[in-house]
Amino acid sequence: MTTTTSPPALTKAPAHPPSPRFSGSGVLRQITVLSGRSLRVLREPAMVLPGVLEPILMLTVFSQVFKSVSQTSSFPPGVSYIDYLLPAFLVTSSISAGLKSGVALTTEMNNGIVSRFKAMPIHTGSVLVGRSIADTMLNVVNLIVMLAAATLVFGYGPEGGVLGSLGAALIAVVLGWSLGWLFMALSAWLRRPESLQPIGGMVNMVLLFASNAFVPADGLPGWLKAVAEVNPMSHAITAARDLALGDPDPGTILATLLCCLVLVVVTVPLAIRSFRRAT
Amino acid sequence: MDTMMIEVSDVTKSFGATRALDGVSFAVPRGTVLGLLGHNGAGKTTVVGILSTLSLPTSGEARVAGLDVTRNAEEVRRRIGLTGQYAAVDETLSGHANLVLIARLLGASRAQAAARAEELLELFSLTDAAPRKVKGYSGGMRRRLDLAAGLVGQPEVIFLDEPTTGLDPSARRDLWSVVKRLVHNGTTVLLTTQYLDEADFLADSITVLSSGRVIASGTAAELKDRVGHRSVSVTLRDAQDRPRAVRALEAAGLAPAHEQDGLVLTMPVKDSTDLAGVVRASDEAGVELAGLAFSEPSLDDVYMALNHSGAH
Repeated sequence: MTTTTSPPALTKAPAHPPSPRFSGSGVLRQITVLSGRSLRVLREPAMVLPGVLEPILMLTVFSQVFKSVSQTSSFPPGVSYIDYLLPAFLVTSSISAGLKSGVALTTEMNNGIVSRFKAMPIHTGSVLVGRSIADTMLNVVNLIVMLAAATLVFGYGPEGGVLGSLGAALIAVVLGWSLGWLFMALSAWLRRPESLQPIGGMVNMVLLFASNAFVPADGLPGWLKAVAEVNPMSHAITAARDLALGDPDPGTILATLLCCLVLVVVTVPLAIRSFRRAT
Repeated sequence: MDTMMIEVSDVTKSFGATRALDGVSFAVPRGTVLGLLGHNGAGKTTVVGILSTLSLPTSGEARVAGLDVTRNAEEVRRRIGLTGQYAAVDETLSGHANLVLIARLLGASRAQAAARAEELLELFSLTDAAPRKVKGYSGGMRRRLDLAAGLVGQPEVIFLDEPTTGLDPSARRDLWSVVKRLVHNGTTVLLTTQYLDEADFLADSITVLSSGRVIASGTAAELKDRVGHRSVSVTLRDAQDRPRAVRALEAAGLAPAHEQDGLVLTMPVKDSTDLAGVVRASDEAGVELAGLAFSEPSLDDVYMALNHSGAH
């Protein structure tokens, strides 16, 4: 520095020091505003399209590759493979949706948006509730698109009719919602984006293939069948599938919904607590 | 004006075995800018985290606008604006939508939120970019929006955590002028920076942090005085004059130094009145000067000197 820079004079005693401009908002407003923020993606086809196309692509692949499964002896007679497969797809897509909630939260915890919210006079839980609502609504849209595509393109039309399929979708949505909280709790606890995605992806993969999603559990080798039978995903899939195929089992459905509810009751406080602590 | 808007007394913060802050104390009067100066890992961001209620101090007390950050976190949050390393904006939204979102969360009606957003976009010269997604903003635009986002609620205290890190010189200047205007209306600012010229330009007083401790504080001028490296440099018209110039200056009690074959002679002086002595000596020796400059010590010098004496 070869020039003399004297610090410019500052006004030390202002006539009107600033005071908070707005009076604060209620939890309801916070949740609507924050979920509205996450739902903005719906306005952008470029953001929504991959999420919609991926399951449809998977549906195409699986319905063709595993079609022969419907000729095996363990397969329920008189059921078309697409009718058997789609309810499972509703469930697995919802699990992915739940995982996405966690991943998105981790990303925002790391890029600083969450810190901004946390330094604002709003309830920290609103951030999580807002995300949960938005992601659940996005999942609903996704499942509706899947059902429509399956019906129009692949000739999906199970015994349970429209009501049965909607029931199956509802089970899937509830499952995705509760897993969303589980993954958000994990995300707030782990904090690192690089860990949640692979862990979640791996768990998802194991749960998916060691289940009755694509083939009846009876058709699996003994050890895998044992895993598939205790796999909670199998139960959710069974509940959804029975509904779609017009043969609902109230016990399985209730058990699935109850599990989801318990999961939410346990993970919501955990998620909010870890989230509040994480910086 | 004696109201302290930020008071930190003997704050420590430990992360496991590491002590990020080790008994930090300072205070910032209303309507002034405190520059918290230090290298990476000195503890600047930890201080901001505690003052903005994002993390709790391990021990000690911190107050913002007279409110304890631990016990009255909610009230503190109503009075602060946070920008910089910690806080970001939503890249998938437009600049306008980001500000509206924050205003709505603070309790503004739709109309109020839109009005406030437009007001701030105007103030930060972002009106043209307002409808565009933040993803496409330049670094400087993004920082300005970031700062605007911290100001939506018209906070009494603003934390600027390394606001210009990574910006090009002209974007830095732009941001500086915005901060200047801000302080003008009575906002209290805590600025963290690794840039000494930034603290020099923006801050009323400076607190130097090193390894979680305050190693010095005072105005930029006071800190410079403490180090006292004022100097004068003269640029010779002709390199052949150099030996003669050196002899003359030494005879006048000065200690000129020069680089090999250099035209510039630099010597430490007490104050600017010594300039006259330099000119007289050169003149009497018949040395023609092409340039003459008096320089204050840079904050770099101060920081280095303090860090050496302060690091044990």
